[in-house]
Amino acid sequence: MTQVISFIFWLLVVPFCIGLVPVKCIAEKKRNLGVILLAGYLLMWAVFEVITIPAVVWIQYHNFSIAMNIFMVVAVLLAVAGIVLWYMEGKKNEGKTNWLGLGNLKWSEMSLETKIEWFLLFALVGFQLYMSVTRASFDGDDAYYVVQSLMAQQNDAMYKNLPYTGRSADLDVRHALAVFPMWVAFVSVKADLHATIVSHVIMPLVLIPLSYLVYYEISKVLFADKRENRPIFMIIMGLFQLFGNVSIYTNETFFLTRTWQGKAVAGSFVIPMIFLMLFWIFDNDLKKEKIEEKEAAQATGAEKKAQKERKKQAQNIGLWIMLVCVNMTAGVCSSIAVFLVTILLGIAAFCLMLVKRDWKVPVKLGLTCIPNAFYVLLYLILSR
Amino acid sequence: MWGIFLESLVIFQNYVGYHQNKFLFGIFLFFLLYLWLKEKNKVCRALFVYVPTVVLVLFFCPIFRKVFVALLDDAETYYRLLWLLQMSMVSAYGAVKLCSKHRKIGLVVMTIAVIACGSYVYQSEHITKAENWYHLPEEAVEVAELIDPEEGRVMAIVPSDLIYYIRQYSSRINMPYGREMLIARWDYYNDIYEAMEEAEVIETTSFVELTRSYGCNYVVLKKDREIEEPLTEYGFTLYAQTENYLIYQDMELSK
Repeated sequence: MTQVISFIFWLLVVPFCIGLVPVKCIAEKKRNLGVILLAGYLLMWAVFEVITIPAVVWIQYHNFSIAMNIFMVVAVLLAVAGIVLWYMEGKKNEGKTNWLGLGNLKWSEMSLETKIEWFLLFALVGFQLYMSVTRASFDGDDAYYVVQSLMAQQNDAMYKNLPYTGRSADLDVRHALAVFPMWVAFVSVKADLHATIVSHVIMPLVLIPLSYLVYYEISKVLFADKRENRPIFMIIMGLFQLFGNVSIYTNETFFLTRTWQGKAVAGSFVIPMIFLMLFWIFDNDLKKEKIEEKEAAQATGAEKKAQKERKKQAQNIGLWIMLVCVNMTAGVCSSIAVFLVTILLGIAAFCLMLVKRDWKVPVKLGLTCIPNAFYVLLYLILSR
Repeated sequence: MWGIFLESLVIFQNYVGYHQNKFLFGIFLFFLLYLWLKEKNKVCRALFVYVPTVVLVLFFCPIFRKVFVALLDDAETYYRLLWLLQMSMVSAYGAVKLCSKHRKIGLVVMTIAVIACGSYVYQSEHITKAENWYHLPEEAVEVAELIDPEEGRVMAIVPSDLIYYIRQYSSRINMPYGREMLIARWDYYNDIYEAMEEAEVIETTSFVELTRSYGCNYVVLKKDREIEEPLTEYGFTLYAQTENYLIYQDMELSK
């Protein structure tokens, strides 16, 4: 029972409460339970990276417990800060804040057809979760990643020994900077459950729904005006995951057969999250431009307009912060993911610059990649 | 440059399951083309049309591949660039856009197309019914449980079919070699691996010398593994056995 409570606390309550911090800086209409949880995971993993990597690189003994104790304190403090912010906002708005809604998913307003489609999606996701618990997936890389988590849990040491044999080894920089297995170990220690069980059984139960949450948020952007299309989009996404095993290399295959590995999280959570952030930031910008034009035409009071503009800018800052966190999460997942998201952002910046005819786009997106530059720099220094 | 391009082509073919006659990528290409023609929203066009197209062009560009591989010092992971295509997302968006007026028919057609062109993930040979909560073979857990020390560490040499699993059960069990010996392209050499796995019949004298030089407390052998002379004549005792394995303990090291 205490294990279940621990999992709920560290995998749901803490990330959710942490998520209340960054969502304070994003537009109210975007805030809902799912977005708060996503934002919480992103910020939590970014913080985890900042705390764990220095411990891996510079602390010789008991580096796991030292890093985990610091992380635990920071995570709880952030969670408390989130609750305080939520409480204060509620007080300020006399309880009118709608942070904890389900977004604009209104069951009572749906047609029977749409309800059936949502039900089909839940069945599809439920089936994937059921299979992730009842089916074992063999993957050779588990001998590395899962054992890294287990070594941290059992020996209180991060990346000090070769997982294949247990022999001491020099720091394997490429893997040591991607500290996702250490987060799995942290959860395992907190719940007092074997890291292999946590990797193979618990992680899919968290990471699969989390990825679908990202897809759902993307569907909301893509079909903002045609809500009835969202479940169809989601069902097709789900089918692609189930039947995407055309080779062992696709991100769909990784998603359901190696869910607990950082690289799978990079392919199915981080990369879609980049798309979501870009949609949020730039689609929002397009709408903002239209609103601004309308406002200018109406020529309302200058001060009121300036106030609105300031508020919008502040809300946009939250999205940029989240994008930075996504970049940092890529580093937590895998060192190659850092290169991949940087390439993606580079290409997207170029394409968005062309369509928006705004040369500032690459500069802005480039700035969000600063953590990636630090990561690569550290990688290069340590690799020498 | 042509050679590098061909390498990328092979990686691409392997990725999309070309040789297995899988055409899921064809669905993606169809909807990418559709979105090229029909997508009007600037941001959607940039992210779901231009980005995947540029990614595809870069993937096949020899100079890009050279730079990518040089930076990462790893050619094996180049296929992951194709993850940036987000095949499922672009296809799903294109499909919904195309069939928005006939959603039910669209969904049925897409379901049939994805099932016909794809490959059911749970049919993979790598997926089996879980035998325990660890999701490891039950017999591997049984062997690991038998030799897992209550405190400290032990060294155990195990047959190749257990190598992946033993340390997933307990990191207190060290091994003289691990997975690195099973990946042929990594090209490692290990004398005790040669003696244990490569020899047709294990030559007991030299094998025992090696297990002692590596400090192996336990030797796990398959029951049908041929060995010149029994280990019990060399200071080992039959510590335990499972359905398919014999576990020997080196009493000389235990002294």
